Amino acid sequence: MNAFANLPFATSRPLTLGVELELQLVSPRDYDLTRAATDLLASLHHDGRCGDVKLEITESMIEVNTQPRQDVTAIAADLEGLRGLLVEHCRRNNVAICGGGTHAFHRWPERRICPGERFAFLNERYGYLSKQFTVFGQHIHIGVTSGDEAIWLTHALNMYVPHFVVLSASSPFVDGTDTAFDSARLNAVSAFPLSGQAPDVSDWAAFLDHMAVLQACGVAESIKDLYWDVRPKPEYGTVEVRVCDTPLTIDRAAELAAFAQSLARWLLRERPPIDPAKQSLVARYNKFQACRFGFDAELADPLARCKRPIVETLAGLLDRLIEDARDLGCDRQIEALRRLVESRQGDATVLRGLARSAGSLNELTRAATEFFARPSCYHHHD
Amino acid sequence: MNTLRAFWESQQDRLFFLPPMPEQADPLALMALLLVAGLLVGEGLHRTLGLSRIVGYVLAGALAGPGALNWLDRETLALARPVADAALGLLLLETGRNLDLGWLRANPMLLRTAAAESGLAFAGVFVFSLVVVGLSPAWSAATAAITMTSAPAVVLLTAEECRAQGQVTQRTLLLTAISCALAFVVFALVLGLIHAEEAGDGLNAFIHPLWVLGGGALIALLCARLALGLAARLERGGAGQVFVLVAAALLAIGLARMAAVPVFLSLFLMGVAVGRLDSKRVLTYTSLPQGHWILAIVLFVVTGAMLPLGDATGLMLLQALGLIVVRGLAKFAGVMATGKNDLPVGRRRLLGLGVQPLSATAVFMAAELAAFYPEVSAQTLLLPLLAAAVMEFIGPQLCRRAFVLAGEAALPSREPPP
Repeated sequence: MNAFANLPFATSRPLTLGVELELQLVSPRDYDLTRAATDLLASLHHDGRCGDVKLEITESMIEVNTQPRQDVTAIAADLEGLRGLLVEHCRRNNVAICGGGTHAFHRWPERRICPGERFAFLNERYGYLSKQFTVFGQHIHIGVTSGDEAIWLTHALNMYVPHFVVLSASSPFVDGTDTAFDSARLNAVSAFPLSGQAPDVSDWAAFLDHMAVLQACGVAESIKDLYWDVRPKPEYGTVEVRVCDTPLTIDRAAELAAFAQSLARWLLRERPPIDPAKQSLVARYNKFQACRFGFDAELADPLARCKRPIVETLAGLLDRLIEDARDLGCDRQIEALRRLVESRQGDATVLRGLARSAGSLNELTRAATEFFARPSCYHHHD
Repeated sequence: MNTLRAFWESQQDRLFFLPPMPEQADPLALMALLLVAGLLVGEGLHRTLGLSRIVGYVLAGALAGPGALNWLDRETLALARPVADAALGLLLLETGRNLDLGWLRANPMLLRTAAAESGLAFAGVFVFSLVVVGLSPAWSAATAAITMTSAPAVVLLTAEECRAQGQVTQRTLLLTAISCALAFVVFALVLGLIHAEEAGDGLNAFIHPLWVLGGGALIALLCARLALGLAARLERGGAGQVFVLVAAALLAIGLARMAAVPVFLSLFLMGVAVGRLDSKRVLTYTSLPQGHWILAIVLFVVTGAMLPLGDATGLMLLQALGLIVVRGLAKFAGVMATGKNDLPVGRRRLLGLGVQPLSATAVFMAAELAAFYPEVSAQTLLLPLLAAAVMEFIGPQLCRRAFVLAGEAALPSREPPP
């Protein structure tokens, strides 16, 4: 009997949103990553009104989760509440906190694995990869009504993985070096054997069969073991987009959530034709283009048999989404993304500029902590 | 040996370049041997018993010093003193840089904890010295001033040795830095009290504390500004900036020695000044070169040799143990009584353990006082020096234990020092 035979898909209100952010904990002395997560959690008192604060795999990371919310305004408020809580708590404990998909200069062998059975298991299974997994991402959950809808939306969103990557890319530096990538974080994720795209299955039943095979072969025990770019999350009744770097500001995090929600609404409403098999031919190439070149990426289109600059498809897509965004109450955030695409001044570009002007990666990281400490512009106005 | 001497002298007629047969080992050669001996004992104790390396360094010094085998006599010790001053100075420079005033502003409870643990330690040791041991008020105050602080060199090196990171480690470093600052101010005032009590000299009682504090501050400011000014012209993060920082620190040590201002005070203040004045963060991210572990070995070997182990009687040892208990309980109580909502109780217990070391700073403070009143101080300063001697062996272990139990040390830690 396998655990997936009757795995139920919890229903949730359609397009419900939830955001998870993995954040960097650095020492204000030199702005290198520091061991702080368990200490911070042990002395953190909060009512959970805005969501939760959790450990991640290493002691230099901390994860915040918003409450499930119906709209981006509430998500932005949760993120602002969690940001304020953590910035203040970190300050009292001489720790600084920031976004960004990678830390610019930390040495991965110095990372400490957090206590906990799950983390010990991951460390045992993946060896040094577990410490190199000290990278920081934003995950966005979108509520769907059924397992079948989750599978369809997973495939549909897979086509837009490069778009999420480009909009969120904030990890140009690794090991003290400019990698020439806008998002080098995803290279760390790619090292895991169960990363990549969800399999080409047609519905929830087929997906469960696929999972049963993986379990029977000892490949994966649960969906938690699968580090796919987009994956169904049956216990929450959501589809989870996992490819975004953690942005430098919570405003950008809210904008990405708005993009995910508007895009999902548009996809579920329009139901454009999708061809997962053909998309899978170019998926890795397109993701590489987005990670490496950011707004200069050119995406392969296997249906039209051509390549297109991502800024063109992004600009067109954001234009198409504005009506859905207006209905969802997140058009301000989509407008902000349109300006971002026009200016091409994403977080990776900002970080490169800071590195040039600040003259040291310590100063770059200090500037990142100041970015994160800024209150949200969405929270006050809404 | 006699055969060698006879052979040597027989050759002197033929080989005119041969010097007379050396009567004793060259102090530098002896120091080199002691360094190696300290290193070997430290590594040996660390690898076999898991003890802090510092314990081994002190043990090597104590065994070789005037109190035991006398391989390292007072003359050699005097020769090694500038190197030990430099070592303590550089470590106190780091301690001063660790005094993070921004953290204190964000969390004023830390200042209360520091005041409580240092204040209670001073009060406890003062009353113990006055009432139980029977020292005069001024010498009781001197004993309390010398022992109220934790040991910055021990705490800093133990944190580095264990590669410890976390709240217990950071707060131990911060409380140590604050207790240093408080102890140095109290020590300067106590100098005046001692002059008044011993010499009845009002002028010196008034001026000397000002000279010590003012001179230390002036040297610190000058050398900090010099370091920052020069470093700003150099490549950020380059070796040149490290060189400038070390050179400015050595200049401060030299100036302090010339002006008879305590080196530990001047360098601590310089560390604070470098941190405070560095608005453009020129030297903020510059660390001491890893070679400071060599200086640390010199420091602790010399400190071990300076311990008055041969002079102790049973009663004095008992009094020293009493002082250690009173001081230890006072520091522990100070930490436990404050910051209830700031740090979980288990962590506060470990913090109370982490701030216990008493070491080189105390020994060097006692040496400053002893220079003025050698006859009186030989007896009266034996109490804090014996307490420091005992704590040289216990303190590093307590501190290390605190970091390990807190889960903040990088284990396994039986690796070469960083």
